[in-house]
This record gives sequence, C-alpha cells and structure tokens, in this order.
Amino acid sequence: MWYNKCVDLLTVSVTARESAGEPYTLVEVAGEADVTNTDELRRMLEEEVAQQPRMLIIDMSGLRFMDSSALHALLRVNRSLDRQGGVLALVAPQTAVAKILRLTTADRLIPVFDSVAEAAAG
Amino acid sequence: MSWDAKAAQREPAPQDAAQEALAGRPSPQGVGGPLPPPAPGAMSYTYTTDLAAIRAAVYRQAREAGLPEPRAIDLVLAVSEVAANTIRHANSAGSLKIWYDTEEIVCQIEDDGLISDPLAGRRRPSLDAMGGHGLWIVHQVCDQVDMHSDETGTTIRLHMKLPGRRTG
Repeated sequence: MWYNKCVDLLTVSVTARESAGEPYTLVEVAGEADVTNTDELRRMLEEEVAQQPRMLIIDMSGLRFMDSSALHALLRVNRSLDRQGGVLALVAPQTAVAKILRLTTADRLIPVFDSVAEAAAG
Repeated sequence: MSWDAKAAQREPAPQDAAQEALAGRPSPQGVGGPLPPPAPGAMSYTYTTDLAAIRAAVYRQAREAGLPEPRAIDLVLAVSEVAANTIRHANSAGSLKIWYDTEEIVCQIEDDGLISDPLAGRRRPSLDAMGGHGLWIVHQVCDQVDMHSDETGTTIRLHMKLPGRRTG
C-alpha cells in the first residue's frame, strides 16, 4: 500500500511496513501543517487509525512547520490509538516542530525518536 | 474564552456591564488600551488563508533585523498562531505589519475579531483541551505581547528583543 495526497502545502504518504515480523504503519508528512490544512491532515490520520494499527509512526523529517491546530490533530490521534491499544510515535521533528512539541509538553505524552528504525524497534 | 466576533454576536447583550464584571465574567467590551501607531515605513502584508507566505515574510524580516535563527523561528510560530486565529474567528482578512530598529523587531497583527478575555493565552491549557494553545504559545515565546481588542477589532503586537550590536 502506498499513496500520496497533496493538501495545499502539505504532503502525506502512507506505507505499511514490518519490523521484526511486527507490522506498523508509516505516515510521512512533509511541508507545512497549519489551520488551513488541519482538517485534511486529521481525516487522513483518522483513516489510518481506523485500520487499528499496532503502531503508527509519523515521520516528520520533511515537515518544516506545525501550528497548534495540527498539534491538536496529533493529540487526538494519540488518544484514539491509545484507546484501541495502539501506539503513536513521532520521528525526527525539525526545529520549529520540536519547539511546539516541547513548549506544550506534547513530547512527554507522545514518544519522539530520531529515526523510523528506532521508533519501530520501540 | 471568546476570541470570536461571531460567538460574541451570538451572546445576549449584557444588561449591565458592572453586574457582569462583579460576576467575574470577561468583559464583552474587549481588552487592553489603544496602542501607539506602528513605526513609519513598516512592511505591510494582507492575508486571508496564505499563512505560509506570512511565515516566510516574518522569517525573512526577522533574520534581516538580526534576530538569531531560533528566536526567528519562535517569532514565526507566534505570528502564525495569531494569524490562524484570524482564519478561525474573524470575518475579515488579516493585516500584518513588521518593523524593527536596533533594539527590537515588532510584528503587529490586526483583524476584526474580538478577544473578550483579558487573560487570553495567560494560562497553560491542558493537553486534553481541544484548543487554546495558540495564544498561550505566543505568550511563551515572545519577549512582550501587547493586545488591544474592542468591538471594532483586535490588534496584537509581538515584540522580540534584538541582540546588542557589537561595536568596532
């Protein structure tokens, strides 16, 4: 499974992967996530959550910017996954994204890793 | 917290402003005193939904003014959060003015929305809250935040101190 969706500034691509025999979903987000494309971002992430993945990894290395509405979308996904026994992990946030995660202490709620391999290894 | 011209209009008109104040409710008359005019020669931008262009302009001006990269990113984050509120709540386009001198860089964002809570953005919202982080972030990253809001609209001024110039 592989697809790309463009929402204005934001590109989201999803792949199904495996690490040590355990499947996980990798979502790569690139560009800038803000109030103007949060609804689309949330909808796409919720579609993946609905597949009940054991682990959803969001690779943020291509994401230049994220505002508080996009952060709320992530927090929501984290709650939904948690409720169904899944795990959300974030990977490689750039400076601006890392800043909002740290300021809001969202990085204490959602684990952040340097690489997808590390996140997949848990 | 109401930073919402439309929501404010939906609220019934207060029968007695003094009574409202006694009840500890936010004033529908808005917050903050009038601000002095922007510096002459300020760069001026208008936005409706193109926040990426606004962020790029703020970053460029901040670096030109001599604001170090991490603080420039903070300012971009703050301006974007305020401008996002325009898109969420105001009925008008927003306007951004940027100016700087040797001491500081200032970004002023104006729209026709109304902030009726004088403490808007002063309290840390819980991570369970479905909103309210925007203005809180603004207060966390900026050196100074001035706010004026009444029924004609809202003006928010974000100040960042510039590092001292080395002489010689």
